[in-house]
Amino acid sequence: MGAAVSGAVAIVGAGPSGCFLAQALLKARPDLCVDLYDRLPVPYGLVRYGVAADHQGTKAIIRQFERLFERQGARFFGDVEIGRDIGLDALRARYDAVALTAGLSEDRRLGVPGEDLPGVMGSGAVTRFLNDHPDAAEPGPLGRRVAVVGAGNVAIDIVRLLAKGPEELEGSDLSARAAGWIAAGGVEEITLLARGPASSAKFDAVMVKELGRLAGLRIEAEAEGEGPAAEALRAVAGRGAGPKRLVFRFGAVPAAIEGEGRVAALRLASGEVIGCDAVVTAIGFEAGDNLGRDALRAGAEDAGRGRLAPGLYAAGWFRRGPRGTIPENRAEAQEVAAQLLADLGPGRAAPPPPPGAVDYEGWRRIDAAERAAAPSGRCRAKIGDRGAMRALAAGEEVSP
Amino acid sequence: MKIVVLYGTETGNAEMLAEDVAAEIGGAHDVSCRNLSDHAPGEFEPDALYLLITSTYGDGELPASAQPFAARMAAERPDLKGIHFAIFGLGDSEYHETFNGGGKTLAALMIAHGAAQIGERVAHDASGPDLAEDLAFPWAEEAIALAEGRLGEAA
Repeated sequence: MGAAVSGAVAIVGAGPSGCFLAQALLKARPDLCVDLYDRLPVPYGLVRYGVAADHQGTKAIIRQFERLFERQGARFFGDVEIGRDIGLDALRARYDAVALTAGLSEDRRLGVPGEDLPGVMGSGAVTRFLNDHPDAAEPGPLGRRVAVVGAGNVAIDIVRLLAKGPEELEGSDLSARAAGWIAAGGVEEITLLARGPASSAKFDAVMVKELGRLAGLRIEAEAEGEGPAAEALRAVAGRGAGPKRLVFRFGAVPAAIEGEGRVAALRLASGEVIGCDAVVTAIGFEAGDNLGRDALRAGAEDAGRGRLAPGLYAAGWFRRGPRGTIPENRAEAQEVAAQLLADLGPGRAAPPPPPGAVDYEGWRRIDAAERAAAPSGRCRAKIGDRGAMRALAAGEEVSP
Repeated sequence: MKIVVLYGTETGNAEMLAEDVAAEIGGAHDVSCRNLSDHAPGEFEPDALYLLITSTYGDGELPASAQPFAARMAAERPDLKGIHFAIFGLGDSEYHETFNGGGKTLAALMIAHGAAQIGERVAHDASGPDLAEDLAFPWAEEAIALAEGRLGEAA
């Protein structure tokens, strides 16, 4: 690059939206300097930490993103948190444009009494633990009866991972620790509670049908009305003869979580009480605080096109809220890239790398170590500790 | 040989593979690469070989960028007699009931309008051990070899 660089763009968050944005920018303008910052020492965000461990085919988009760094010239600066290690204003001063694609990492709360009882867990916290995220603590024990609240694909992912037998996890990267947590729960009955009717459920039909193939599960669903999710639910209802029971309940509005010292039951607005040992809420996500998302959006000059202020953009869930799958985020990233490029004047040269950042070569060393450490029946053993990630990235030997 | 690589994509994987295939065979042939969303059914030419690469999305359906093409085929009903194509599908055997539905649907659509398929449909499995290009490069070379002498002839 060097002298050929004619503009520098920083992207905050190296998840799928950030990577698709970088891809679109560099496809249109191969001369640009595009730097992806992530607060973790590793890239790919929700592709690594949100897409379920048994959906490796979905994670295959990482091959596109590898090309972004290996051939399109994007730079990765991991282990750098904007808003803590570098202020957002300082970052904007170094680049012609900054795009925020940091996603939404906090679980949305149900807002009912009893939500803070032990045994109530958010889907983001559970998903991060199941994906060996370095910030994820092990959730409390599950127990025999689990209630999952939500009508989207995240709820289905959690149900599926709780229901799968060991042979159905072949080829995944679910860790022994995560599999052990599920097994220790001894889950026998899962109740999925959706506030609305089956016709308005946001599950993808293909996700519902996948549940219908699990050997250990029997499914009960009273799904009425139109729509692909409702039709798929009717197709799988009554399927299976496994020891684990999954019951879909629609029109079920949680009113309170009850229990002495830990969850014992979930009370619905109808007055019905459903006994359960754990509650997983999967009703969406909110922003963490440090990028000041709410204030930025409130003052946005043209949020509809992803522009928050001159030279400051947003894309992905950070911009739109927790809706939309990988392809929708790709399409949106392409639109935001077009807007950003249309606004971009003559630009500056690539700034020097921030001190202490994990670069793409460092990530390659972590990646290689994770693949090499994969146990039998697994494609990878993720490193779940920042210190070990940093050491591997720096080329040090780390004993597994 | 004049070769047009046409791709249907949703997450970009098929687009990347199409670009790789076009680059791989580009030295020896007159190759272009386009999104199916930019290709009109009336633009097929009998002196070209069409290498179709498509993913599968949702419940075994065509990906987003192939859907406008399928809609135009249905509306315009072009006569594709004398048009030659080969088909490569991307899929995920995690969803085995609908595995590679996109490739099957696109091939059937071409054949239904009179086009001639060259070689076997090849399917890549995202949950399998192979890299897509390791299957797609030999598929393309095979299709080119089979197409030698056939392009421009009456089908």
